[in-house]
Amino acid sequence: MRISTKGSYAMEAMLAIASHDDDRAVSIREISERTGISDKYLEQIFLLLKEAGLLRGTRGVGGGYVLSKTAEEITVGDILRATETSFSPVPCLNEDDACNMMPICATREVWIGLDATIRATTDHMTLRDLLVAFRTDSSKALDNYSI
Amino acid sequence: MRLSTKCRYGLRALIDLALFSTEKQIALKDIAERQNVSLKYLEQEFSLLKRTGLVRSVKGSRGGYLLAKPAEEILLDEIIRALEGDTLIIDVDDKETSELRSFLQRHLWEQLNRDVEAYFHSISLADLVRDYLAKTAGGEMFYI
Repeated sequence: MRISTKGSYAMEAMLAIASHDDDRAVSIREISERTGISDKYLEQIFLLLKEAGLLRGTRGVGGGYVLSKTAEEITVGDILRATETSFSPVPCLNEDDACNMMPICATREVWIGLDATIRATTDHMTLRDLLVAFRTDSSKALDNYSI
Repeated sequence: MRLSTKCRYGLRALIDLALFSTEKQIALKDIAERQNVSLKYLEQEFSLLKRTGLVRSVKGSRGGYLLAKPAEEILLDEIIRALEGDTLIIDVDDKETSELRSFLQRHLWEQLNRDVEAYFHSISLADLVRDYLAKTAGGEMFYI
């Protein structure tokens, strides 16, 4: 059971955009240079993030990508749901997709609990939370460097 | 992000074994029939469960399987590890990577892996058997 590379790269790219110093749009090239993710792969991921209403492209000179909401309004769960093919641990969490043994299934509750555990972290952690922690980390790293 | 069918079916088979092997060993053929899975598939799963010390086999014409320890002592994280190899939901990459990637590793992915492991560690096979019996109390169906 794994979160895919696509999902983890999407997190990285969104954090790269959110942590960009000024307000202008960020180009795919810049994100690619910072993360080491190829332009082509980023384009695929951004298509999904745009469809989910998390990212917006701007055209013209200096065009690129900006978040379409504030970092506070975007959760880790939003980003992973937009990019992961399936973001639930088993196919039968939704009652409509459950098999006819659902009322007496001994394991479905376990997977529901697992899903809730994953959501407890991913739906509460926002891009802004990560950004704040990232900046704290980076400034600590700089302090250490100056010593 | 999906658990393998091996893991889902394996857990059901183990609950079945815990329910039915209270007095004597149970033949895999019986579990295969009750759970509607192939015997071959169960044999593969039980060889993994045996190798990790969760079940033991009794040889002979009336041979079969038993839990290797009480169901209270068999925790879900051990079962998942036996069937899936680990409980990780994302690979932890030690390679030299970008600043952003190693940050996310520390602040997000390792946290998620720990949360999931702790969740699995909090549930025993005995809990699952109890839940199942509570659900089917009064009913005649024995499907896990």
